[in-house]
This record gives sequence, structure tokens and C-alpha cells, in this order.
Amino acid sequence: MEKIKEEIRQIAREALTGKKVDIILAWEKGPLWYDSYPAFFTKEEEVDSLTWDSFCINNLSKYLLEETMADKKVGVFVKGCDALAFNQMMQDNRIRRDNVVVYGLPCPGMIDPDKVRAKRLNRGLTEVKQSGDELIFVTKDGEITVPAHEVYYDKCLYCHYPNPVVYDQLIGEKVAAETALDRSERFSQVEALEALSAEERFAYWDSQFSKCMRCFACRNVCPACSCERCTFDDDDLDILGKAREDSEDQFFHLIRAYHVVGRCIDCGECSRVCPQDIPLEKLNRKLIKDINALYGEYQAGLDPSTKAPLVTYQLEDADSFTAGEKGGKGT
Amino acid sequence: MQRVGVFICWCGTNISSTVNIDEVVAAVKNMPGVVYSKDYQYMCSEVGQNLVKDAIKEHNLTRVVVAACSPRMHESTFRKAAKAAGLNPYLLEIANIREHCSWVHKDKKAATQKAISLTKAAVAKAILNQPLIPGEVGVEQRALVIGGGIAGIQTALDIADAGYEVDLVEKTPSIGGKMAQLDKTFPTLDCSACILTPKMVDASMHDKINIYSYSEVEEVNGFVGNFEVVIKQKARSIDMEKCTGCGICLAKCPAKTALSEFEEGLSKRAAIYTPFPQAVPNVPVIDRETCTKFRTGKCGVCAKVCPTGAIDYEQKDERLNQKYGAIIVTTGYDLINLDSFGEYQYADHPDVITGLEFERLVNAAGPTAGKLVRPSDKKKPKKVVFIQCVGSRDKSERGKSYCSKICCMYTAKHAMLLRDKYPDCEAYVFYIDVRTAGKGFEEFQRRAVENYGVNYIKGMVGKIFPTGDKLKVNGVDALSGEVLEIDADMVVLASATQAKPGASDVGRMLSISTDRDNFFTEAHPKLRPVETHCAGIYLAGACQGPKDIPETVAQASAAAAKAIGILSKSKLVNNPCVSQVDESVCSGCLACTKMCPYEAITEKMVEQKVHGKIRRRRVAEVNAALCQGCGGCTVTCRPGAIDLKGFSNKQILAEVDAICQ
Amino acid sequence: MSVIANNAAVKNAQAFEPLIVAFCCNWCSYAGADLAGTSRLNYPANIKIIRVPCSCRVNANFVLRAFQRGADGVIIAGCHPGDCHYMTGNYYTRRRFSLLKNLLAYVGIEEARFKVDWISASEGNKFADVMNGVLEKVHKLGPNRKLRDSRWRR
Repeated sequence: MEKIKEEIRQIAREALTGKKVDIILAWEKGPLWYDSYPAFFTKEEEVDSLTWDSFCINNLSKYLLEETMADKKVGVFVKGCDALAFNQMMQDNRIRRDNVVVYGLPCPGMIDPDKVRAKRLNRGLTEVKQSGDELIFVTKDGEITVPAHEVYYDKCLYCHYPNPVVYDQLIGEKVAAETALDRSERFSQVEALEALSAEERFAYWDSQFSKCMRCFACRNVCPACSCERCTFDDDDLDILGKAREDSEDQFFHLIRAYHVVGRCIDCGECSRVCPQDIPLEKLNRKLIKDINALYGEYQAGLDPSTKAPLVTYQLEDADSFTAGEKGGKGT
Repeated sequence: MQRVGVFICWCGTNISSTVNIDEVVAAVKNMPGVVYSKDYQYMCSEVGQNLVKDAIKEHNLTRVVVAACSPRMHESTFRKAAKAAGLNPYLLEIANIREHCSWVHKDKKAATQKAISLTKAAVAKAILNQPLIPGEVGVEQRALVIGGGIAGIQTALDIADAGYEVDLVEKTPSIGGKMAQLDKTFPTLDCSACILTPKMVDASMHDKINIYSYSEVEEVNGFVGNFEVVIKQKARSIDMEKCTGCGICLAKCPAKTALSEFEEGLSKRAAIYTPFPQAVPNVPVIDRETCTKFRTGKCGVCAKVCPTGAIDYEQKDERLNQKYGAIIVTTGYDLINLDSFGEYQYADHPDVITGLEFERLVNAAGPTAGKLVRPSDKKKPKKVVFIQCVGSRDKSERGKSYCSKICCMYTAKHAMLLRDKYPDCEAYVFYIDVRTAGKGFEEFQRRAVENYGVNYIKGMVGKIFPTGDKLKVNGVDALSGEVLEIDADMVVLASATQAKPGASDVGRMLSISTDRDNFFTEAHPKLRPVETHCAGIYLAGACQGPKDIPETVAQASAAAAKAIGILSKSKLVNNPCVSQVDESVCSGCLACTKMCPYEAITEKMVEQKVHGKIRRRRVAEVNAALCQGCGGCTVTCRPGAIDLKGFSNKQILAEVDAICQ
Repeated sequence: MSVIANNAAVKNAQAFEPLIVAFCCNWCSYAGADLAGTSRLNYPANIKIIRVPCSCRVNANFVLRAFQRGADGVIIAGCHPGDCHYMTGNYYTRRRFSLLKNLLAYVGIEEARFKVDWISASEGNKFADVMNGVLEKVHKLGPNRKLRDSRWRR
């Protein structure tokens, strides 16, 4: 990644000096070891702080919203999941494609700081080096080598699209698309919940939803939540109040999940940014699982020219309510 | 603050016997916004309507709720009353306390509570109602008739006679349809051609009718009053202007291998052909599949013999764009394929024929010049068995569950024609039931039995065994239980009629629905039999369901009258309950455009001032003339930028809240 | 179990008057409900109908709102697939609410509380049957507390 980082910086500098783009959207290293946050670069000299490491988890595509960027020409770096997000936003007409130069970055996986802390690898951590399937943590206690999959985000272990599905220029070599865990496994947690009784399921979700502070971080980070004005902010329609009231939390979460049906790319960012650790991906994946079962496999963000499952239909579609026909398992 | 007036109808005792009107009146007085309430025995009567009108004026009502029967019954009545009193008619709501309440509940207390609840919901909704004004659109005063059978011809003639231009599009080279193939028609036994041909000629001579034969409708867009249609004129390979219809080319063409469609495959035709001598237009077409010139490049005999040089091998399909105010669908029917009815040997034995083939065999202009003989050995038959309901009233996979309606009568006709030609030939008819509901039909069928000595046997045929030069027909007489074995020379199958195989595609193209048998669905089975659910599109003939000629013609004239009703207007008003886009909220994702069944939503670019800067952005736009008001888009729209007038998100939520109080 | 306890159970069950909100499309199911009326069929007064032009007009918000406001069951009824007045509207209904139904079940709402069915204008009998069926099941389940807004009084 170190080598790629230099390449990225070079590309960014050239793009800016050559006036190919007005802004470069990439990551910048912050003061803390896990801080690789999104940053805008407009001048050549700023590019020295541009970074590319195993903490560049933030999805930059969401920053490309048409209105954010006005008419500026932007160069953006996208990982595999960011590319799916990019396509999804393209499908929703939220990005002006001709204003964007997409630099694709094959992604080996991103490190979950919580897992690093749990393994106490963060003591005076200065650098993380990659060596094949292993990561070398340079810490106060010396260099510690761990298998990469032990510290990567869970979602990275299921990732099927580490290589960007859309780009104008690809940087570096593509990485193997084999997932560390069986991809169908990502539904195992959904299945575990499905196996419970209605009461148990309600108890589980009630305990989760009631943690919600309605900070809307999940919505704000979501590449499928890109509306000009979110329906939850529509004071006139007034479907969601401001009270600490369980039914409002439930309403918010059900409608949020429902609004991204067929558009959720399963990047898991919503769960990652949730300050209350609500497992939102278990809602999203339930819907993805049902779509796959009812209407055939569908990966949002793969091809922006396809019709999302809810804006199309087949005459012979199965449903979940007519007895005797194959439907989604809901009991 | 709105001033709501609530009017509660007793409907005689229909409502008042189960709903305590006094309690409803009392409850209504406490509902938010309600300033006036009144109950009356028959609110829909003139007196009742006047109560509404007077109250609107006297009490300055800004919203009106009528708690009465179903809005499907009297919504328009009360809207008119409101309008007459100067209130926008869409500010009125109906609470259905009859069909949905007093008639379905027995417990008076519960029914009264429910009536109150439904009225409350209507009040809550009405308060949020907005005055709606239907838009107006111009009308293209020209009609399109799709299908040139008797239904299409009659429709076209009626519309043209009323003074409007009509384009009649026919897929095959000639108009005439199935009726042109028939020999005689029941119940009068007049010659089919004798009554049809004059109509075909009338249509072709009419200065308001343009016949597009050998053409198909390829695309339909637009809406009532303004349909935009693409007609494909298939390459005929003949210059229609130059051809005189002399027929020399037909005679000289050396490639006479194709089976004649018109003769139901009982004879062959040339590669250049007119389907039948009285064809309209009397201009041949070249069947490029069988024409030697097109297949090998050699030949060209027709071009050589044509005295006017009308043959044009280079001709190409042409597309014509035309606008219409109304469309009438008269695409007709087909007979079912009999491949899966192996027991009748239709596919395997030439002397087992369909009713339509029988028509050609007895027709003077047919393949045998009217000599009724067995197709196999051209011998005169001595015993003919007719089998009815082959595939009709058959719930199995291979059949059709409905009655084909025409077979009882034409079988009686066939048997009579047979006995008329050969009095010594025996005729047997196997039937499930004989259905003769029609003017003169029963008498006709009785004549077959009583005067013509046709043997009717109630029962079905199990199997036909070809034995020697006979067809051994094994059946059961259901009345006597006797097993019958008839050595027939010929068997005529009354095969079921069915919708044209392409009907569902035509339906999709026109945005009209088809039933489970692929017949087009009328808007109402009793009260709107020739209309479709798509305004401005009408149905006539067997494309809507099996029917005979008199019914078809009646329907054709009815459809024509409906179309004339549209064409005679210079402007049409729309349903104002259509979707509209709040451009400031629309994100331009255009998901709505993808699901709209009417392609009524398009994208447009708007300039908006956002934080002092002009932003050009993409938003959705609803064409109010195309929108039919289903509201599907409103659900597709996550932020609620698109909403349905008359059934807005807020209105429905208000109803939910009110009902749940 | 004692007789007294049994009686108490019966009494409680009787005291429970479920509220069912039914969204019916104007062209088929609402007309089917009208036909049920014209035919003087019987179904309990607990079912209250909201008219929508097409089942595809029903937003998931409406369903959840009804539960929030104390509905014990919600029904969406539309034309049979293929018979939609708006040609294809109910095909979208079928997809949208297949998924919502599963999602509601997934978060623990009893399946019987949310029903989608196809009822044509000529199916007055089916209308009454479906309504009776839902009510019977909801009655067994008892009052719905899930999703319900605790501040709302019915």
C-alpha cells in the first residue's frame, strides 16, 4: 500500500497541476493511528498529506453528491465498495459522471480499530505493513505479525467486490476476489434471527431499536440515502417526531431499511458508524436475502443501467402472502 | 380553518336500521372543523341534494362530507351538487356507511360506532382536500380501427358515416376477416360473402376510410384524444397505385406451393396472391418466403407479365406516424390448435376437419368449387359426424374453460347444409348441451332436427379409429347409456375459439388488460361492455370474448358510437387526481419514471436558486394528460416529492389517524 | 385450569375489540367490499376501509402509521395480478409488500397482523372471508402493542 500511496499522490499532483480536476477527493492521515479521514485537496502542495492505508474505510463516493460538488470537476479514489456506492448513486442520478474522474483502488481489506485494540496491537502503533496475507504492526512492543483477516472488518471478510467495478483509471494490481468467509454466510445472522419466535425477534429488535438516538449517522453515510430532503426531515408530512418513543425508533429503522431495498449495496457503513452499535446490516441483509430468494440474485451498484428490484416486476413473481406459493420465509 | 358540513343519509332504512343516525349526528358535531350537520332520508334525492347546496351557501361551507352509500355510487352526484353551489367538486368526500357498514353489520352499536369512525376519517381527509381543476386537452378527430374483420369494417363505416376520418389497419393482405371465409350464416342461412362483400366495398370506397392492409400497429403512445401511433406497412412488393388487380400475375406465377391461409390449407396458392377473389384491396402481395425470385434471385415472371409494371421487388416496410383521438380494437379470434386432441385424429387424418374447413369445403368459391367431398379421396361422404365442444368448456390444460358460443349454431348450420346437399347422407351431432340463446336460434336448431333429420346425440366422443376408408367414431349416448360406434366418412370438429395468440402483446402496447384467457377486458361486464379501462380505447367483436356475427356487429356499432362521442368533442377534461412533483424536493432519481405504467413521467432540467447560487438540476415531471392517477410513483418516491392529488400522503395519513381514534 | 380462570379468559377476549385498517383499491377490492355490502354478507365492524386508487398507492408508511396508532391488524387488498386497472400497479404492490411483510415478521410482528390479498370486484364473498379470517387470527393474538405509539389513545 505504501507503494500505491506514492502513486496516488503522484496522480493527484498531476491531475491538479494539469487542471484535469479542480478537486481531489482522497484520504488524509490524522493525528491518531486509525485516523484516515476524507479530505479535499485543491493544491499540489496539500497532496503530501494524502494517504492510502488500511484505515481508509470511509467511502468517498457519498461526497460526490451533485449539489456538494456544484460544477466542479472532481478526481475521486474509490475502493471496491466505494465503487458500488458510486454506481448506486449514478443509478439514482446523484452524481454527474462527466464531472468525475474515478481512480479505482483494489482493496485488500480495511482494519477494524476495535479488533486492533482487542488484540492490544495499538500500543504506540506507528505503522502497519502488509506482507502477503499477514499484517505487521509496528508498535512500542516491537513488530507483531498477525493474519490480516483477524483484524479486518467483518464486512471486508465477506466482500465480493474488492476490485472497483467502475473506474477511469485503475491503480495497482487487482486483488483476488475470493472472500475470506463464504459469501452466503453473510446471511447466517439473518437466518439465526429468523429461526427465533416472533416474541424473541421482537424482544431482540426492540432492545436494539430502543438504543437509537436518531442521530441519523446511518442515513448520512449511506450511499443509497441521497435524497435532496429526507422524508424523515419533512416537517409538513410529519411522519417522524422527535420524541424518545419506542414506536418512533421502530418506525425510523423499518422505513430506513425499507427505503434502501434493492439499493443497499451492503457496504455495512451504517452499522459501522452507528454510535449505539445497532446491527443495521441485519435489517439490510434480510431484505437482500429476500430479494435474492424471491426475484433472483441482485447486487445493487453492480450495473447502474439495471432496474432496481422495486421498480420492475415479472408477471410470474412469487409473493409472500398467497398460501402455498413459494414466498419469503417470514415466520 | 375549514368549515366542514356533514350530511348523513338514512337511505330510507338501508342505513338507519343498523346505524343510529342521531348518535352519528351528535358525534359529528364534535369533530374538528365541523360547523354544520344534517341528516335526511334520501340525501341523493333532489330534496337531499338541495339540502347540501343550500347549506354550502348559507353556512359558507368550505368542505363537504356526505355519509351515505359507496362513492362508486353517488360521488359524482354530490360533486355536481357541490359544484352547483359554487364549491369546487373535489372538496367533497364520501363516507361509505352503507355498503361498508350498515349492510354488512348486524350489531347496531358496533355499526353506529363504525359509521362515526368512517365519517371522522372522511372529515379528516376533506379538511386536507384541495380544489382541483381538471385540465383540458384537444382531440385529434380521427379514429384508428385495429383489425379488418366484420367488427372493424362495421366500426369504421359507422364512424366514417358520422363524418370522421378512420384508418382501418389489417394485418393480412385483405380486409374481411373470418366472416369472409364463411359459407352461410346462421340463423338465416344467407350467404356470408353476399352480405359482407358490399360492406367491404363500402369501406374501400368511403372517402373517410383509409384501409391499411398488410399492415400492423407497431407502437401506441399518448392518451385519449391524442394517441400517437406508428403503423408498419409491410412491403407488399406491389405498387398499389399501379396495380389494376387484373390477376395475370397470380395465374402465371410458377411457385404454387404455399398452402392457402384463406382456404384453411385445403388448397395451394401462388407466391404472389390475393387471399380470395373479392379481396379488398384487390391488390396481391408477394409472399417472400415462397417466391422463387426472393429465394433464388431467378424468376421474375410476375414482373414480366404485369401489364402496368406494378411489381416492385425492392419495396421496403414503411412506417407511418399518425395521431388519433380514439382507438377501437377489433382483432378477432382464432381456433385452438388441435395437436393435443389426438383422440380425434385431426392431425393424422385428412377427413377429420374443423368447422372452418367445412365452411370452405361447402363454399362455391372454395377449393372444391362447393362440391362437398372427403379431402382424402374426393368421394362424397355418406355419414358425417359433428363433434361439438372440442376444447370448449374443457377445464383441462389443453382446452378452454369457457363456451365458444358459436359452435352449437354453426354445427346445426353445417348439418343442415350437408343434408341439403346430400339428403341421403346421415348427420350425427355429439353435444354436451345445445345452447341456442339468440333471436331465431332455437327455431333454427329445431329445424335441423325436425326438418333436416339431423341426429343429435348427447354425449362425448371417446376416440376415433381410422379403419379402412372409414373413421370409426366411438362415443356414448349419455341419455341412454348406450355405447355407440359410427362408421363415419368424415368428422367435423367444432374446435374452441380462442384469443389471438398476440393479444396480450397488443394489450400491453395499448395499455389495456386481458383476462386469463387473453381476451381483452371490458371496463364493466354489464354497464361498459365496449369500453376498456384505458380511456379512448374501445373493443368490439371476438377479441373481447367469443361471439357471433350479430353480436359482433352490435358491439361494433356501440364502440363506434363511443368513439364518435370522443371525436365529436373539441376538448376533453382529465381526471384531476393526478400526481405532481415538488421540484424543490425531487432528487431526480427518476425511479418514478421507471415504474409509471403510462410513461407519464419524464425528466426535465430546472434551475433553482440554492443558497444564492443558481443550480441546474434534473427533476421528474408529470404529464397530467397521461397520468391516470394510480399513485404508484408516490410510493416509489422515498422523500415524497411526488404526491397524488386527491389521495395525498397527508390525506391518507389523516384518514388512518382518524380511523384509529 | 379452573372454571373461573377460563371464564376470565373468555371475558377478556370479549373485551378486546380489535381494530383492523384495510386499504382497498378503488377498482377491485373497494368494489368487492361494496359487493359484499350489496350481497348483505357479514363481517365484523372492526374492519375499517380506506379507499386508495390502486394498491400501489399504499406506502409502507401508512401501514406502520396504522400500527403506531393502535391498529391490531392491517390489510392491503388490490386487484388480482394481471387485472390491475392501471395494468401493472399491483405487480409493484406484490413486490413491495412481499418484502415489507417479511421485514415486519422479521422484527417480530406476528404475521397474521399484516395481510395482503387480491380481491376482485366480483369477489364479495372473498372480501368477507378475508376480513373474517384476519379478524379471527388477530382476535387470537390479542391487542397489538408492538410498533404502537404509547402516547396515542384509541
